Amino acid sequence: MLTPEQMSRLLIVASRDQMRPVIAELYRFHLFHIEDFVDQGSGDYEGFRIGTPLAGATEASGDLIKVRAMENVLSIHGEDVEPAGKQSPSEFRARIERELPGLESEVETLTGRRSKLETKAKEYEQKIAEIEPFSCIPLDLDLYRGYRNFTVFAGTVTREVSLAVPNETFGTKIKDRHFVVVITPNEHRGEVEKALQGAGFQSVPVPDETGVPQERIDFYTSQIAEAKKEIDEINRNLDAMKRDNTGFLAACEEVLKAEVERTEAPLRFATTNETFVAEGWVPAKSVAEVSGALEKATGGRIFVTEVPVDPEHDAVPVEYNNPRFARPTQMLMDIYSRPTYTEIDPTLMVSIVFPLFFGLILGDVGYGLVLLAMVFLLRRFLKGEEGQQLLTTLRNASISTIFFGLLFSEFLGFELPWKPILFSRHLNIGGEAGAAGPAIPELMIMAIWIGILHITLGRVLGMVNHARQDHGAHRMKAVLANFGWIAVMWGILVAIWSVFAMPYMPDLSKLPAIGAGVPLGVIVGVVLIALGLVLIARDAVLDIVEIPTILSHVLSYARIVAVGLSSVAIAMVINYMAIGLFIGPQLKNISIVGIIIIIAGVLVFIIGHLLNTALGILGGGLHSIRLHYVEFFTKFYKGGGIKYNPFGMKRRFTED
Amino acid sequence: MVDGNMTLEMVQASQMGMKALGAGIAVGLTGIATGMAEMGIGSAAVGATAENKDMFGLALLFTVIPETIVIFGLVVSLLLLF
Repeated sequence: MLTPEQMSRLLIVASRDQMRPVIAELYRFHLFHIEDFVDQGSGDYEGFRIGTPLAGATEASGDLIKVRAMENVLSIHGEDVEPAGKQSPSEFRARIERELPGLESEVETLTGRRSKLETKAKEYEQKIAEIEPFSCIPLDLDLYRGYRNFTVFAGTVTREVSLAVPNETFGTKIKDRHFVVVITPNEHRGEVEKALQGAGFQSVPVPDETGVPQERIDFYTSQIAEAKKEIDEINRNLDAMKRDNTGFLAACEEVLKAEVERTEAPLRFATTNETFVAEGWVPAKSVAEVSGALEKATGGRIFVTEVPVDPEHDAVPVEYNNPRFARPTQMLMDIYSRPTYTEIDPTLMVSIVFPLFFGLILGDVGYGLVLLAMVFLLRRFLKGEEGQQLLTTLRNASISTIFFGLLFSEFLGFELPWKPILFSRHLNIGGEAGAAGPAIPELMIMAIWIGILHITLGRVLGMVNHARQDHGAHRMKAVLANFGWIAVMWGILVAIWSVFAMPYMPDLSKLPAIGAGVPLGVIVGVVLIALGLVLIARDAVLDIVEIPTILSHVLSYARIVAVGLSSVAIAMVINYMAIGLFIGPQLKNISIVGIIIIIAGVLVFIIGHLLNTALGILGGGLHSIRLHYVEFFTKFYKGGGIKYNPFGMKRRFTED
Repeated sequence: MVDGNMTLEMVQASQMGMKALGAGIAVGLTGIATGMAEMGIGSAAVGATAENKDMFGLALLFTVIPETIVIFGLVVSLLLLF
């Protein structure tokens, strides 16, 4: 909790003939994060080389490429496939050898045939397009060529032309141009050419066909239809193949991927002619288990040792270590950045505070229920770990929304049968709310209090982080600088409190004044501010320019109220429009037109609230997470940890 | 604007109207300002995220920084109105 999983660095040395059992064992455990061996600049590893893949790597990766190509053709996505029970790998390998080549050649033949047909259909379409203009001219296509004494012009002109020389002309209109065919004796060719040029002539090639144009078009159309039919047939075959082989192919991919990863693992090890060395990370609690299993697998012909860890300079992979309910929030952390190995992991705090903020912003029983229903509905469709984590986070947020909805006494903008337990957010829109109106100042002060506490917590965590990570003189300075930030913020607060009395805040204005009539609180505040400034400046003078962010960051928490109120306002406006303006007046004396207006009112109600739910999720989610990312994390959190990515995989289709 | 015939109620109503106008202007102008500021950052952020997906967190952070402006506007308008 609050710190990442403790990691140990393992060094594994064995002779090369033990490589296969060692890799198999590490892969099965799915715990060993391999630190890749790099050939250059590795001082301790002089004389070592990068290993060579185990036998069978080429075949396995070749097969994997084929399987993926087939999955691509059949549009199968491994993650979306529901596994139907696990199979034993040896049996499955035999099945791969038996069935894969046949399946592959079948798919290849079908797709090859399909692409040939598609090209053919395209070709015919092209031909039809070429013949099309000639279809309106009453001439057979073979009559356009083969003359010794005549010249044939075919093309389009922008306007009609009349020729003064002997000729035979056919014309038709295509879109905004005229299509003409002119046949003229060779001796008049020049004049005709000139006249046509004057009319913007653009030559159209005569298709290399014989017979009546329309007949040729009909012929090609029927050919295309035939090709399409055949393509449909092939697609049906491919669909059938997809139905029959989805599970098989997804399992194939898994088995082959595992095989490729295993056989290529030596590429990440350091080797000599006779031995190999693998370095990597294992969670500290699993060290004994892993090394014991390795000893057993190799019959003791292996050397496994724990190397001391230097958390500052080693690239320690980071695995979260959170209680179950906080785990989904890790997704929100990964979006920002994974914590480094030495710093505090705030996932637990985010997992508690994020739903609270969300609930405070949305705070409506109706919207909470809609959101909850949506989460349970989406759970069926959204596969994949990240999606599920997001939904779980949203579920917590919606439960919190319902809780705060009860406190705010809100249901889709209406008031529940009790007065708001927490401050009222009911606006005076359409006379719906009671005379009390919203308790804006109180809500604001609540938000400010949340901000003050959240930011103070952030600064305290900053002190802890600096105490853990820094060394020497800088360590104390950095810790004190963070304390200085707290001092300035609270100094400003104390000074304000001793001048103005505010509801729900300590009232220090009654304290006795000392000196020249200056209240005691102001003096304490000023001293705190001065102390804080000195402490901040001692660490980094330039940070002084950041002082105004204290104000802006605390005030930024006002968005909890502001965004929430805007959502309440929209909900109340929708209710007023739908019920007050559309439905209510019509219910008094019902008529045909009235019923239509009532239906319109119901539509306004549904669409409006759907829209407001979407806005509420966006507003509640984005603003809550933003308060964490911008206002909270900037006080202490750096991130940039390396993801713990253990060697191996979670098997879904096959047994280990 | 002001003449001798105005009653106290009229003056109060006019003041309410002015407050509402002020609140509207506060939210509206700060909203425009935030939009303008986020325009440049947002497009750069989308570009950066398209290049490198890991940038998303940081990109979102940068994009929402100017939002503080409109929140201030909203706070001012709420204080004006209530």
